[in-house]
Formats: sequence, C-alpha cells, structure tokens
Amino acid sequence: MLELTRIYHFSAGHRLANAALSPEANAALYGPCHRPHGHNYYLEVTVAGRPDRLTGMAADLGQLDRAVSERVLDHVDHHTLESVPALAGVVTTGEGLAHAFWRLLAPALPSGTLRRVTVVETAKNRFEYRGEES
Amino acid sequence: MTDEPRASSTRRFAFSAAHRYWVDEWPRGENERFFGRLTVPHGHNYTLDVTVRGPIDPQTGMVIDLAELKRIVGETVVDRFDHADLNADALFRGRVPTTENIAIAVWDLLVPKLGADRLWQVRVWEDPTLFVDYRGPDA
Repeated sequence: MLELTRIYHFSAGHRLANAALSPEANAALYGPCHRPHGHNYYLEVTVAGRPDRLTGMAADLGQLDRAVSERVLDHVDHHTLESVPALAGVVTTGEGLAHAFWRLLAPALPSGTLRRVTVVETAKNRFEYRGEES
Repeated sequence: MTDEPRASSTRRFAFSAAHRYWVDEWPRGENERFFGRLTVPHGHNYTLDVTVRGPIDPQTGMVIDLAELKRIVGETVVDRFDHADLNADALFRGRVPTTENIAIAVWDLLVPKLGADRLWQVRVWEDPTLFVDYRGPDA
C-alpha cells in the first residue's frame, strides 16, 4: 500500500469556547484562545491505495480535491469556524477540527481509503486524527 | 538481534525531471479524456525524503552515516532522475511515472543498496502540496 498526502490551505477565524460553560469559565479555561482570532491553517489529507496497473494512480486526486473543497474548504475558508453549520457543537481546537474534518470527508471518499487528517494550526501546532481504531 | 535502541534517520534530496501521463495501450483520445493536461510533457522539482531505520551503532552513535546515505541515493537515484525524462527511463516502460510509481521505483532502486531491513520509507514530493509515502510491498 501507498499513502498519498495532499496539502490544502484555508484561513479562518475562531475562538475556543465550550457552550456548556459560562463566559468566565471559558476565559479561565482557554485563556487567550477564548478571544476571537484566526489562523492560516494547513489541512493535510492522507489516503491509502495501490497504484492502478494501467494508470499508475493509487487515488483519484480530482475526486479528493473536490471532496475536500466541497466538504471542508468551501465551508471554512474565510469564515468564522463557530458559525459553520457543519461544525456545530465542535470546540474548534486543532484536534477537534481534525476529528470533525475526518467525519465530513470519510463518507465522500472510497470506503476505507481515508488514512489520516492533519490540521496544522500554526507552524508550532500540528494535530492528527487517524480514525477510531488508531 | 541487537539490543541497541532503534531510530530512524531521514535525508532530503531533490531532482528536477520531466514526465507525462500516458497509457500506451490507450488511444490518444482516451489518454486525453482520462489524464487531461497531464498528457502534455511537463516537469516538477521533486523532493525526496529517504528514511533509514535501525539500531544506533554504539560506536558511531549513528543509524547510518548520512554521508553514505547521501552517496548511495545520489548515485542510485538523483544522478539517474535529475534533469531526465522519466518516461524515457526503462523503469517506466509500461508504467506511468506518477508520484506513486516514482516512489515505488525509488524504493526498488534503493533496497539492494541499503537492504530491506534498513530502508524504512521513501517519500516523494511532486510539489509542496502532494507527497506519496511507500514502505515496501509488504507494508
């Protein structure tokens, strides 16, 4: 098996907040991350496959690009993550986004091919989600 | 077996090469319909990350002498692919030089030199937005 990783980019605003908590509790819990701010995110999507004997391609990159655009990028790029319907209820931490993007992408890709979703929030923060069994 | 701690070392290489996507068994129209602009000869600045894994030699403190790795990959892969037309290389006769097949070809070139027990992963970047990882036929 090969793993093919495509790197995408989006910019979005967000703030860390748990709806179940008071503003004071959120401010105490999340500190500066509770204030509205934003990031230049990178989203790395990894799929697994074997290269087709004829075409040499292990994945349909066009389909992958379309799925990532339609399921994720179109919803989040230059948006505030807390106002994105597909992310309702998600605390928009890097790991929360990686998990949420996995749930959005997995059904749009050939069954079992999604291997890893990585959210790079800043040059110093990187979050990976590899599915339930990992 | 050894009780030495195991680690991995990765060294990065670069080569610029030309390719196009074309299946010889298909008529022109089918190639153009399936591959689109990729049928036109074009090129990339490829980046290659070669990872070797093994015990840390207690004498040298190394998994592998990176100078040795640089020499092997340079002679075996970079000299062969840099400023080359990949479609004209015998390795890609009947195989489209996709990033996937390039990763497999690099692995197949390096395994006899480095050993299947040492070569851990080949990562080929076609450009800064796309890379393929290959860890051999059994992985």
